[in-house]
Amino acid sequence: MANKSNDPVAIWQTMIGEMEKGFNSFANQAMESPEFSKVVNQVGGVTAGAQKQLGEMMEKYLVGMNLPSRAQMVGMAERLQSIETQLNEIKALLQQNNAAARGALYPAAPKPPRTKRPPSAGGEPT
Amino acid sequence: MNAPAGLDLASIPERIQSEVQRAIQRSIKGVEYIASSGPALGSTPKDILAVRGTMNLYHYRPVADEIYRVPILIVMATTNRGYILDMVPGQSFIEFLLRRGYDVYMLDWTAPKPEEKSLRMEDYVLDFIPDCIARVQQDSGETDVSVIGYCFGGVLSLLYGSIFPDGPMKNLICFTTPVDFREMKLFQNFADRRYFDVDRLIDSVGNVPPEMILSSFEMLRPASRAASQVQLWENIWNDEFVKSYRMFDRWATDTLPLAGEYFRSITKDLMWDNKLYNDVMSVGGHPANISKIKVPILHAVAEHDHIVPYDAAKPLIQKIGSADKEEVMLKGGHVSLVAGANAIKRLWPKLDSWLGERST
Repeated sequence: MANKSNDPVAIWQTMIGEMEKGFNSFANQAMESPEFSKVVNQVGGVTAGAQKQLGEMMEKYLVGMNLPSRAQMVGMAERLQSIETQLNEIKALLQQNNAAARGALYPAAPKPPRTKRPPSAGGEPT
Repeated sequence: MNAPAGLDLASIPERIQSEVQRAIQRSIKGVEYIASSGPALGSTPKDILAVRGTMNLYHYRPVADEIYRVPILIVMATTNRGYILDMVPGQSFIEFLLRRGYDVYMLDWTAPKPEEKSLRMEDYVLDFIPDCIARVQQDSGETDVSVIGYCFGGVLSLLYGSIFPDGPMKNLICFTTPVDFREMKLFQNFADRRYFDVDRLIDSVGNVPPEMILSSFEMLRPASRAASQVQLWENIWNDEFVKSYRMFDRWATDTLPLAGEYFRSITKDLMWDNKLYNDVMSVGGHPANISKIKVPILHAVAEHDHIVPYDAAKPLIQKIGSADKEEVMLKGGHVSLVAGANAIKRLWPKLDSWLGERST
């Protein structure tokens, strides 16, 4: 049997692992510099700003085209969410009523007793 | 010609045959991988007790004949889904707890909707957690509740415990919970107040998009994704490896957006001003000093945690007011501490022996 130092597959796997560690460590050192933070945040800031401007322009364009804007869609989503919440409440009430009705016919399975003790206090090991 | 030292020439044909077989298996399984869906995750039977926007409270159905008196509420990190603690049968922390006789509830999060961008830290600490605790008390019929917080869920649990030191929290377990945010060096640099305009970001995008959260996690180890894909290809013949890869990869990329105001507070109060560590944190006008917490606490930290480095987590035990406190450092990383083969061997049994003693 070949030992690991001569096994090409093991050498390849070790190389990948070492490359990963080396690159991560190198990148982490680079990312700790204030210059990295400055550049990343400048790019991120520009992107966020551009996104906002584009959003505003799109809003105007959609109004002009007589199409619903994002704000209107969000408003609609809010109304839908409020309907969903009410439906969930109704569903929960129905489930409770059903459970109560079932309970009258078939008593619910009893919950396990809260009497378990740890093995150190004489409880059964699980 | 002599063979190099350690190389057994007789084994070469056997080795080539094995590699050829694996190459064939890779091609077959590679097609299967693309064509099939991953394993079903988070399938331990549970009932949904409450849903309020981003907040979800589950109760897992007990499986033991006899359970401990004190129920557990798990508070998940707001950036990730709770199924990391309930992967598949045999590798589920939830299933383990149920089998060991605990009554388990989970506060899990779904993506906050655009209209939830105004959720603040106080909504999480003074509303969602107390609401879930009250529901657990009502459902279980018990006053005491043990709380387990994972990562930022641990921070939320600490804030809650500091503001409500007189109960009903009976025990607190934190997994990889940062307290000294100065020590999260790379995140500190990403959020450098000289260059990172958090107000502009939140005012522009509302909720922080999940892609941004994911890329900030991935930037901590930029080569790891590519290396893990190479590993996947090498091991694609191995069903167990592929199953595990798919579970963890799906979870890791299933990142949640963060509510805008909540993110603003995390950045300003914790990342910039380090208020929790400096004992000046407050939530909704309530001082939140962790020295006020007196309940028994176990803090599990990971030796190779690249997300919450040990120096960021270490002050928790030093600063907390509890007399009964323990820190346990286990092998593994931020995720393998709580899920996967290492967790099954190390963290879970430790937690069971610690919590069982304090759950009667």
